[in-house]
Amino acid sequence: MTANPILPRRAVVEKILQDTPDTKRFFVTLKDGEPFNHKPLQCAMLSVPPVGEALFSITSSPTRPEYLEFAVKEVGTVTKHLHYEVQEGTEIGIRGPYGNGFPIDVIRGKDLLFIGGGIGLAPLRSLINYCFDTRKDYSKIQIIYGARTPEDLSFKEEIFENWPKEDARLNLTVDVESPGWEEFVGFVPTYLEHLAPTPEGVIAVTCGPPIMIRFVLQGLEKLGFQPEQIITTLELKMKCGVGKCGRCNIGEKYVCQDGPVFSLAELNGMIPEF
Amino acid sequence: MNLTEKMRQEAAQILESKEADLVIGWGGGEYYWQSPPLFLEDAAGAAELAFSPFIVNNLAKYLLEELESHEKAALFVKGCDTRGINRLLQDHRIQREAVLLIGVPCAGLADREKLKAAGYDAGLLQVERQGDSFILTLEGEEGAREVPAGEFLLDKCLECRYPNPLVYDRLLGEEVQKPRERDPMARVREVQKKPVDEKYAYWQEKLSRCIRCYACRNVCPACNCRECIFDQNAPRWVGKANQLSEKQNYNIIRSFHIAGRCIDCGECQRACPMDIPLMEINRKIIQDLTELYGEYEAGIDPTDVPPLGTYRAEDPAGFSER
Amino acid sequence: MKKIDKSKLEDLWGRLAAEQDLFLPVQQDSVVNFALWQEGSRVNLEAVNSLLPPKDLLFPQSEKIFSYKRREGELSFEEAPGSGPQVIFGIRPCDVRSIELLDPVFFKEPADTFYKNRREQTTLVSIGCLEPDTTCFCTAFGIQPLDAEGADVMLYDMGTAYLVSPRTEKGEKLAEEMGELLEEAAGAEEEGLQQQQEAAASAQEHGLDLDGVFEKLNDMFDHCIWEKFYRRCLACGTCTYLCPTCHCFDIQDDGSPEEGQRFRCWDSCMYEDYTHMGHGHNPRPGRRERVRNRFMHKLNYFPKDHDGVYHCVGCGRCVQKCPVNLDIMQVIEEIGKEGVGGEGHDR
Ligand SMILES: Cc1cc2nc3c(=O)[nH]c(=O)nc-3n(C[C@H](O)[C@H](O)[C@H](O)COP(=O)(O)OP(=O)(O)OC[C@H]3O[C@@H](n4cnc5c(N)ncnc54)[C@H](O)[C@@H]3O)c2cc1C
Ligand code: SF4
Ligand code: SF4
Ligand code: SF4
Ligand code: SF4
Ligand code: SF4
Ligand code: FES
Repeated sequence: MTANPILPRRAVVEKILQDTPDTKRFFVTLKDGEPFNHKPLQCAMLSVPPVGEALFSITSSPTRPEYLEFAVKEVGTVTKHLHYEVQEGTEIGIRGPYGNGFPIDVIRGKDLLFIGGGIGLAPLRSLINYCFDTRKDYSKIQIIYGARTPEDLSFKEEIFENWPKEDARLNLTVDVESPGWEEFVGFVPTYLEHLAPTPEGVIAVTCGPPIMIRFVLQGLEKLGFQPEQIITTLELKMKCGVGKCGRCNIGEKYVCQDGPVFSLAELNGMIPEF
Repeated sequence: MNLTEKMRQEAAQILESKEADLVIGWGGGEYYWQSPPLFLEDAAGAAELAFSPFIVNNLAKYLLEELESHEKAALFVKGCDTRGINRLLQDHRIQREAVLLIGVPCAGLADREKLKAAGYDAGLLQVERQGDSFILTLEGEEGAREVPAGEFLLDKCLECRYPNPLVYDRLLGEEVQKPRERDPMARVREVQKKPVDEKYAYWQEKLSRCIRCYACRNVCPACNCRECIFDQNAPRWVGKANQLSEKQNYNIIRSFHIAGRCIDCGECQRACPMDIPLMEINRKIIQDLTELYGEYEAGIDPTDVPPLGTYRAEDPAGFSER
Repeated sequence: MKKIDKSKLEDLWGRLAAEQDLFLPVQQDSVVNFALWQEGSRVNLEAVNSLLPPKDLLFPQSEKIFSYKRREGELSFEEAPGSGPQVIFGIRPCDVRSIELLDPVFFKEPADTFYKNRREQTTLVSIGCLEPDTTCFCTAFGIQPLDAEGADVMLYDMGTAYLVSPRTEKGEKLAEEMGELLEEAAGAEEEGLQQQQEAAASAQEHGLDLDGVFEKLNDMFDHCIWEKFYRRCLACGTCTYLCPTCHCFDIQDDGSPEEGQRFRCWDSCMYEDYTHMGHGHNPRPGRRERVRNRFMHKLNYFPKDHDGVYHCVGCGRCVQKCPVNLDIMQVIEEIGKEGVGGEGHDR
C-alpha cells in the first residue's frame, strides 16, 4: 500500500529565531533522515497536536538542505502554539511538500525581478537563495522589498548582510518615516513605480499581502510587463494539501496542487475568487 | 380575491409606494409542497408570491441580515411567526419601525409526510384549503379530491394556540377561530414516563442521528446571538467529530440556551433533516420553566422579561461573574 | 439468469455478514439509513434511497487519521488501522454512480489511502428502482433507475424474488457465497425483466434538460441568477451532507498534549468557516458566493475537470431536505433559460 498522504513525518524544531515582532523563524529537521525534496515556493504542513496543523511556505532553498526553514506569523491557534509552546528541541509533525512550486525552467537565462511585502518575502527567499546558489543561470537580479516599519522587515541578516554581497540590486522600503531609516519611504507599489524597471527579458515574481499584490500587478502591467512575465503566489485556506478537502478551490483549480504559483496570464483565465 | 392575489397586491403596493424597500414572502415551486422564501425589491416580482398550505417557513430571522442593507422590510407573518418577531424585538435585534408586518391569519398548514403516508404524494399537483377541507388536485382522470383538513395538518398546527398574528400592521383576511386540538405537552409526558434507562436509550437513538448541520439553530428565531458559541473556535466548545457525546453536547447546550426564549414554533424540528423530535426537548424545558418560575410563554409580549433573562439580588443561586 | 427468493434474504444476509461487514438500508423512526446488519435489523428495501447517502461507508462523516503520543518529548504517530471487506446491499443506481464520482477525487494522486482501501474491499449490490420517488431525476444524468453500470451485483425486483446479475469479479465471488440460495430463474421472469426495462425506458421523462448548462455556466460566474437563489439559504449545509457526491472535509485534532488523535470529518462549502483564513480574509464571504460555489462546483467546475460529467446524480436528497426549498432542478432550469452572454451578465 502506498503511503498515506495526510500522515505527517516526525520532525524536530532545532532552532527558533525571532524575526519580526510578530514573526518567528523555525529551523526544522526530519527524524527519518530522508530528504524532503522540495522546490522553491512549495509549502509544508506543520503539525502540533493537539492544536492541529497549518501550511507554511518553505523559506529555505533546496540548495541549502541543512534545515527546512519556516517563517511563521502569529495569527491564530496553530501559529500561536508554534510561537509560545514550541521550543528548540520540540518534536513536531511535517508533511509535504505541497504545491506546484516555481517553474525554474521558465526563468533560466532571464533577468529576475522579485517584489515582496512583509512576510511575503518568506516564499520568495527560497527562490532568491536558489538563484544566488545557481547564479550563472540568470542574468540581472533585482529585489524590491518592503514592510510597514524597519522592525517588520523579515530576514534581516539576508537583506542587510548576505544579499548586499551578492550580484544583485536590492531596494528596500518601509511604509512610514522611521528614525535611522535612510532608504525609500512608501508602499511597495509606489516604490516599484518610482524605480520603473524595464520589462524586456525580465520575469517578475511577487508575493505579499493581497492588497499589495493587486497594486503591484497593476503597476507591472503599466510598466509594460506582459501577463506571462508576471508570476505570483496565492494564499487560500488549506486543510489537506492534496486536492481533496475542497476548500482551496478557485473554480476547478485546487490551489494546493495546481498552485500556489500562477502566472498573471493563468490568473486572468481563472474566476476572480481569491 | 384569494389570499395569493391579496398578497401580491399588498406587496406590489408597498414597493410601489416605497413604504418599504424589501418584501419577504413565500413563493411557489415545482412541487406542491414547496414554498420557498421570496425576496422582492420591485413590484414586478410580486406575481411570484403564492399562498398555499405549505407556507411554513418563519421569515422573521431573515430580517437580521436583510435589515443591514435595507431601510425597512415588509414581512408576511403567520400567528406563530409573530412570536418570533416579538423575540427579536425583545432582544433588540430589530427595531419595530424597520419592519412592516402583514399578518396572515392561519387555519393550519398541511403536512406532506401525512399526505405521503396516505398515498397522496406522487401525482399530487396542488393542495388548497377550503373551510375544513383540503382540496387535492391530482394528476389524471380524477382531477380533484376533498379530504378533511384535520387529518393532514402539521402536528404543530394541531397544537397551536396563536393562529392569529400577535403583532402586525395590516391583516390579510379575517381572524380565524381555531381550537387547540391537541395538548402539546402530551408527548413530553409520555417520554417522561419512561424509566431512566429507557429514556436515555431513547435519546441516544434519536441524537445519534444528528449530523450537526445546525439547521435547527440557523432557522430558529430564538437563536439570534451575534456570535454563536458553536461557531467559536478558540476555544472550540463542541468538537466536530461525529460522536454521540458531541451530538448530545450540542443539542443539550442549544436547548438550554433557548430556555425561556423558545417560542414553540417547531421550525427546528421541521428543518432538521434527520427527523429528530427536537420539540420534545424544547417543551420539556418549557415545562420545567413553568414549574420553576410559573407560566411563561415567550414571544407573546415584547415588553416582558423572560424568566432567565432577568436577575434579582435575592436569587438563591447567587450570581457568578465568570 | 439466477434468482433469489425474497424469503431467503435473511439467510443470505446471515451468511454474508459472517464473512464481512454487511450494510443494508435500515429503518429507524421515519428514517432509512445504511446500517450494519444484525439479526433483527428492520431492513427496508422498498424505500427508494436512504436519507444519508452510503458515501458514509467509504468516506465516514468522521474518521481517525492517526493517533499521536508524546512521551518524554518524543512525538510519535500511529496510523489508524485499515478496515476489512464490506458489502453494501441495496444501494440504488444513483448512489452507485455517486461512488464513481468520488473515485476520481480520492484516487487522484496522491491517492487517499483510507478511501482507496475501503473502496477496493467494497462490493456493491444494487437494487433497481421500479418506482422512483417524485424528486428523483437521475435519468437527466444518463443513469438508468433499473440498472447500475458500476454495481458488482445487480438485483432486479421481480415481486417475490430478485433476479441476480453479477457484473464484476467481486460480484461473481459474492454470487458464489450465495451458493444454493440462488436458483435458476424461469424464462417468464427473464421476460418480465425485459418488459420492466422497456417500460422504464419509456417512462423516464421528467423534462429536465442539462444540455448546455455546463457551457453556459462558463460565463455565468457574475450573473444575477445567484442573487435570486442565495438569499433564502440558511447555510445549514444539509444539501452537502446529504449529497452522495460531496467530498469536502475538515481535519481536526482531539486530545491532550500527551496523546490523542487527528480525525477528518465532513465539511461543507456552505459554511463561512470553510474558507475563512486565519488572518481574517475570506474569498467567499457571503451566502451568495457560497451558494454559487456549490452549484458551480456541481455543474461547472467538476465537469470541467472530468470530461463534462456533472457532479450530481439526481438523487433528490437536497431537493427533499433543504428547509427552504432551494431546489437544484429549478436552478438548472433557470440556467437553461439564460442565453449565453445575454442579459443579466453584469449584476
Ligand atoms: C500556500 C500558503 C503559504 C503560506 N505560507 C505562510 C508562511 O510562510 N508563513 C506564515 O506565517 N503563514 C503562511 N501561510 C498562512 C498560514 O497557513 C495561516 O496563517 C495559518 O494557517 C493560520 O493558522 P492558525 O491555526 O494559526 O490560524 P487559525 O487559528 O487557523 O484559524 C483557524 C480557523 O479559525 C477560523 N478563524 C480564525 N480567525 C477567525 C475569525 N476572526 N473569525 C472567524 N473565524 C476565524 C478560520 O476558519 C481559521 O482558518 C500560508 C498559507 C498558504 C495557503
Ligand atoms: S427552538 Fe425550535 S421551536 Fe423553539 S423557537 Fe427555536 S425553532 Fe422555534
Ligand atoms: S437540524 Fe437536526 S441534524 Fe441538524 S444539527 Fe439540528 S438536530 Fe442535528
Ligand atoms: S440545504 Fe438549503 S438552506 Fe441548507 S445550505 Fe443547502 S441550500 Fe442552504
Ligand atoms: S446535488 Fe442534490 S440531487 Fe444532486 S446528487 Fe447531490 S443531493 Fe443528490
Ligand atoms: S465544494 Fe461544496 S458542493 Fe462541492 S463537493 Fe464540496 S461541499 Fe459539495
Ligand atoms: S487544501 Fe484540501 S483541496 Fe486544497
